[in-house]
Amino acid sequence: MTGPLVAFDGVDKSFGDTQVLYDVDLSVDEREVVVVIGPSGSGKSTLLRCTNRLEEIQAGDIRLDGRSVIETDVNEIRQQIGMVFQSFNLFPHKTALENVALAPEKVKGRPEAEAKEAAAELLDRVGLADQGESYPNALSGGQQQRVAIARALAMEPKVMLFDEVTSALDPELVGEVLDVIEGLAADGMTMVLVTHEMGFAREVGDRIVLMADGRVVERTETASFFEGPGTERGREFLSRLL
Amino acid sequence: MATQTGSESNSGGVLMRDQLVKRVGEATAAGFVLVIGGLLGWILWTQVDYGLLSSPLIARRFAVAFSLVLRIVVISSLMSVTLGVLVGLGRISTSNVTGRIAKGYVEFFRGTPLLFQLFVIYYGVPRLWATGQFPVSDWAVPAAVVGLTLNHGAYVGEAIRGGIDAVPGGQMEAARSLGMSRVMALREVVLPQAWRNALAAIGNDQIILVKDTSLLTLIAVPEIMDVFRNINSNQLDPWTPLVWVCVLYLAITMSISQLVNGLERRSDWGSDSRMFGRLSRLGSGDDGGEEA
Repeated sequence: MTGPLVAFDGVDKSFGDTQVLYDVDLSVDEREVVVVIGPSGSGKSTLLRCTNRLEEIQAGDIRLDGRSVIETDVNEIRQQIGMVFQSFNLFPHKTALENVALAPEKVKGRPEAEAKEAAAELLDRVGLADQGESYPNALSGGQQQRVAIARALAMEPKVMLFDEVTSALDPELVGEVLDVIEGLAADGMTMVLVTHEMGFAREVGDRIVLMADGRVVERTETASFFEGPGTERGREFLSRLL
Repeated sequence: MATQTGSESNSGGVLMRDQLVKRVGEATAAGFVLVIGGLLGWILWTQVDYGLLSSPLIARRFAVAFSLVLRIVVISSLMSVTLGVLVGLGRISTSNVTGRIAKGYVEFFRGTPLLFQLFVIYYGVPRLWATGQFPVSDWAVPAAVVGLTLNHGAYVGEAIRGGIDAVPGGQMEAARSLGMSRVMALREVVLPQAWRNALAAIGNDQIILVKDTSLLTLIAVPEIMDVFRNINSNQLDPWTPLVWVCVLYLAITMSISQLVNGLERRSDWGSDSRMFGRLSRLGSGDDGGEEA
């Protein structure tokens, strides 16, 4: 496989009469970290959610590893795409360890002991080795989000999608979550991040994709984007942040 | 600023009035207890025949009726909750057909009196066969179980649907994102939480089911009220058997209350109340305290 791992090709998406994505092209190579930024309502989250078909697109195609996401069985394609949400969405009736082990056990049919062992390793990887028996309600937001990352990793996805994963966190808890994501980047995980943390985007992103009004208006190497965006929209967006 | 000074100058008065309201409430409650307690005491003293109350004859008849009611309650309870889960799932089905049938079922059984439904089943259904051809010879108790199940299945169904609706949409999304099918996500993620949300309402309904068994006297089920009516008309003494009736119903309903409380505690997944319970126990150094 030499092509991109994830490829958007002319994607249109509407909610009823309201079109939110217009002819979006985007490609993400293996081991690449792409950061999607842009004003709210520009379609960033929708773009992510179309990737694993939480939203269905109206035109175009999305390919994962060369296979059309639209034509593949939805439950199969989702196993290869890890997703982390702004609001964590941990299962409150399961312990942290059970949250991570649930899908490998039920979806992939791993034996329970094996799934739990792998889950414990993943919790260790996100720095929560001692919290396996805790229920989500007993964890801080930062800890919950790290469990959610471990839960997504447990399915051994080819790509991870992060949808504003630090937006619901108290400022002092943002760092611990970003550290985990940075660690994943260092390990070579392919990732697409929607974020408002520009400092983090600059640090971890290989490429920046700027969206506005449902269109990709700029895609650049991270360094050159922050040195000076090539487009008017990019300059405008950055200047409003400073 | 102006409002703050305003509320400050008022706070003394409000506090005074709060105290006053509290005292008035206490006085009212105490007065209520005195009146009711006095009335009850007077009745128990003057009206109840203790010889009759403890006579083996009455006790045996009530015991037989109680055991029958208990069996009817247990079976109807289990069946109505099972049916209710199915109805609740039907209500949220992505299939229009299933959803509408479930809705129609709920509308009918919630919208007509239980007594009407019992009459339909007890008197109406056997007439659909030629005279003497209805296969069940003793139809009263089976009809009672069917009626209670169908009626309360509708209420439990609505409780379950409410419980499902109260589970945040992000739960289904998170489960689906991991590759679970909709059915698997419902089973593993949504329903356990919906069950917890619906428990109080289901418990409430099951207590009503127990009390609804008193209607069965009207379709010739020899249940508790039936025994009362017999004793009352033989002895011309309502108060003595009424004591029995009261104690027997409370025995079942209070047990169900306890059971529901126990189930709620068991599915209290590290919620705030449990955290606080734990903290307060730590604070007081008391290990045997009841969990909040």
